[in-house]
Amino acid sequence: MSWLTDPAGEFADLTRAEQGVTLFVVAFAIYLLFGLLRGTLDPTYFMFLLGLASMYALLSLGLNSQWGFTGLINFSVAAFFGIGAYGTALMTASSSPIAGGFNPIVGLVVALVVAAVIAVAIGIPTLRLRADYLAIASLGLAEVIRRIVLNEQGLTNGSAGVRGIPSFFEGWPVLATFPQSMPETTIDPVPGGSVTVAEPVFGIGFTVGQEIVLRTPFWRALLNVSLVFVFLGVSYGVLRRVHRSPWGRVLRTIRADEDLARALGKDTYSFKMQSFVLGSLVMALAGVFYAHLNLYVSPGDLDPITTFYVWVAVILGGSGSNRGALFGGFVVVAIREGTRFLNQISLSLDLGATEVVFSFEGLGGPMRLLLIGLIIVVLMRFRPEGLLPPQRELIWPGTVDEVPEGPDVGVREARGGSDE
Amino acid sequence: MRDRHEGANMGKENVVLRVENLEKRFGGLVATDDASFEVERGTITGLIGPNGAGKSTIFNLISGFYEPDGGRVEVNGIDVTGRKPYEVADAGLIRTFQTPRKLEGMTVREAMLVGPREQPGESFVKLFTDPEGVASAESANLAEAQRILEEFEIDHLATQPATDISGGQMKLVELARAMLADPEILLLDEPVAGVNPTLRNDLAEQIRRLNEQGTTFCIIEHDMEFVMKLADPVVVLNQGNVLMEGPPEAVQSDERVIDAYLGGDA
Amino acid sequence: MPLLEYLANGLIFSSIIVLGSIGLSLVYSIADFANFAHGDTMTIGAYTALLTFGAVGGLGGAVLGLPYGFFVALLAGIAVAALVAVVTERIVYKPMDVGSIGMLITSIGIAFIYRAIIQLRFGADFTRYDVQTLRPIEWLVQYDIRITEHDVAIVLSAAILVTGLHLLLQYTDLGRKMRAMADNPELARVSGIRTERVKLWTWVIGAGLAGSGGVFLGLFNQLRPRMGFSLLLLIFAAVILGGIGSVYGAMLGGFLIGMIHELMPILTDYGIPIGTEYAEAVVFVIMVVVLLVRPNGIMGEAT
Repeated sequence: MSWLTDPAGEFADLTRAEQGVTLFVVAFAIYLLFGLLRGTLDPTYFMFLLGLASMYALLSLGLNSQWGFTGLINFSVAAFFGIGAYGTALMTASSSPIAGGFNPIVGLVVALVVAAVIAVAIGIPTLRLRADYLAIASLGLAEVIRRIVLNEQGLTNGSAGVRGIPSFFEGWPVLATFPQSMPETTIDPVPGGSVTVAEPVFGIGFTVGQEIVLRTPFWRALLNVSLVFVFLGVSYGVLRRVHRSPWGRVLRTIRADEDLARALGKDTYSFKMQSFVLGSLVMALAGVFYAHLNLYVSPGDLDPITTFYVWVAVILGGSGSNRGALFGGFVVVAIREGTRFLNQISLSLDLGATEVVFSFEGLGGPMRLLLIGLIIVVLMRFRPEGLLPPQRELIWPGTVDEVPEGPDVGVREARGGSDE
Repeated sequence: MRDRHEGANMGKENVVLRVENLEKRFGGLVATDDASFEVERGTITGLIGPNGAGKSTIFNLISGFYEPDGGRVEVNGIDVTGRKPYEVADAGLIRTFQTPRKLEGMTVREAMLVGPREQPGESFVKLFTDPEGVASAESANLAEAQRILEEFEIDHLATQPATDISGGQMKLVELARAMLADPEILLLDEPVAGVNPTLRNDLAEQIRRLNEQGTTFCIIEHDMEFVMKLADPVVVLNQGNVLMEGPPEAVQSDERVIDAYLGGDA
Repeated sequence: MPLLEYLANGLIFSSIIVLGSIGLSLVYSIADFANFAHGDTMTIGAYTALLTFGAVGGLGGAVLGLPYGFFVALLAGIAVAALVAVVTERIVYKPMDVGSIGMLITSIGIAFIYRAIIQLRFGADFTRYDVQTLRPIEWLVQYDIRITEHDVAIVLSAAILVTGLHLLLQYTDLGRKMRAMADNPELARVSGIRTERVKLWTWVIGAGLAGSGGVFLGLFNQLRPRMGFSLLLLIFAAVILGGIGSVYGAMLGGFLIGMIHELMPILTDYGIPIGTEYAEAVVFVIMVVVLLVRPNGIMGEAT
């Protein structure tokens, strides 16, 4: 915990990429905080963003444990996300065509069980395949699942989707009514008024310190964020434990050289299956959260583009690095929501007689696609290991001294040096 | 040519690896044709032959990477024909590869630790139900890995990234790691290909030392000098079939072997 | 008896799939990666034709209900698709050293970039070529076949292109080298074939054929930025069915996949409750089964 006592020293010990990421995260946090204080960023929307980012982080963790550790090219992320979402929705929603009205906990359990069963069913044929065939086959099977969700109206309501999903805490003591029972709370960062830092000329000046009023939607969002943080925390904890172990070591060996793992007596098919199911469960967990956040699910939620968002997050963060996956998840949401704003921007320039209007209406979608595409290509071309490549040895904690830190020795140094 | 194939000496005592009438075809091409030989416990058996003689195919058939079209493979008296590689490894046979692939993102000792078989920490469930057991096994394996690295005199590499060491060092690490799997018999696929002369001697010394400590070896190698110095007996393969077997001197002076090598590429 | 009509539709759809699958198969083998941008290369062909046709107009006469100008547009679509693929290969794929899996992932990024650029210019909605919609050919209607002259044009053009490729592969030096390399890239390299040149022509031919397939897909259905990516998995299925690296396998695979896709209504006609909405799903399942039991394709050796 020397970050508290000697932040400058700790910062200097980081690799350059880590420093960059740290600075970016700090700057972004300040920017958001500033937005909150100025009143331009609605605290409820902020909470929504936080929840969404955590959801993507969950998906990235799931994919990371498949691709990052084991080298499984799974292009069916969206399908498992959808299975999680539909699994809980069909159990709990009032409009469910099969079995609505159950407690969301039941929904959670059913969703995870279904996801595990389908993961095994998909894994049995595909995990025997060559890596690139797995990519094609998993994309194909994900599409089969999407078609089923879209067309089997008796089972899923088809294209109409499932409405009337309760919040996750419905039926719980206290938490069920928490958002309504919380009083309207006013936060006044600058007591007795606001501070105008500069005159708002040319739109550059700004004022901070307006009152922020927190109402029921905020408390509901806060509850959702707490839920996803619990999901995220549990998943992260479990994954970290299993990855820094002989088990995780075998996975990484399979990724690097599957034949070697086989020659050393590892039943690689079994390890791949375990890794595939584990990752799919984490993805389904993200889907469960989404269903109870959005309170509505539709076949559009299984669109393959979600799969590729998550891929970008994992590659960006660094394949095999769980903290990288968290970071990547947040960046992807920044891209998603950032490009959404493009649709609302229009610039008008008054050039004397003629007025020129630039409108970005409708460009959000393609710009997002372009950005995602460019990030993939640039990363693969110049930094295929991602921004925060894994640095810890996969050795059970406590049995070996932590890698010594310092300029002369250690994996950290040698691995981090690759960005020079 | 075929009538001149006298084959290997069968009927040895205390056999670790027995290969009988092994066959493999790829499409119309016969890669292994009725190959039989035995590896006696405690020996270093060399497997040589001209290019295309089917050496690598036989290794892949024995270790379970290819499925044979006919014949039988026995390790320690257990029939492992057509079994999966991990099942063959469980029977006590470990193999290395001609070109070791670099284990990206792993340190040398991490890569070493993949070697030990049946680690409790490789069970997902035990990571949660028996963390103490996992930890003690891990400590023991780590100490063993360190010990073997020291014996190989490469313990200074332990925390180096596995991608940063030389090809020759990687071969040493491979051999060291294979020893962690505690094999009855170790199949080495061209252990000194692309290795500089100094490391080559190191490898030969290590193999001899391990053999004296009780490990049986079966080695494919192109470097004749290396094989003839180390191995006894030497089995000669030609056109997917065992041409002869004998001590190195006998093999070197055998006319059929010389013919096979001279005519091998024709 | 709608069977004849299904078969006719199958033939038309097959023509488009075949044009896509040949290039994907060649590139898969010779450049050694699954090119996920191949579908969007088809989209490029289609939109280039749309632009070109808009610019040159009808140019007087017409063949099979298609103005001369449309054929100019077709050539432009082929040329631009080939050009874009070659430029991409030179500035992106060639300098990369990330293995075939890394290339696969990169090609997804490329696919998104192609599609995004098209969408920025044309929007996400459906469009059509400005050619007159035709009625079905009358004398065929009595046999319950409803196809237009445009459909005939698609099949004929595809046949001409495929025949041209066949002649190239069989009777030219380049073609022989290309087959040798697709068959066994390693062997071709050691036998002294100038692989760089063959590789370049592979991209040109593969992407050019894909471009033409895209133009026809736009004529058969409509144009939409997602059209190529949506078709990609069907094309992969065709390539896998025919065996990766085999040009003639890709043709056969494309033909079968197109037929299966269009013959789906037969199932419901015979009381099997799998509707046409599952046509693609059925194809994907077939693809996975082929991968499992005959990973070298129906024409390759069983392993």
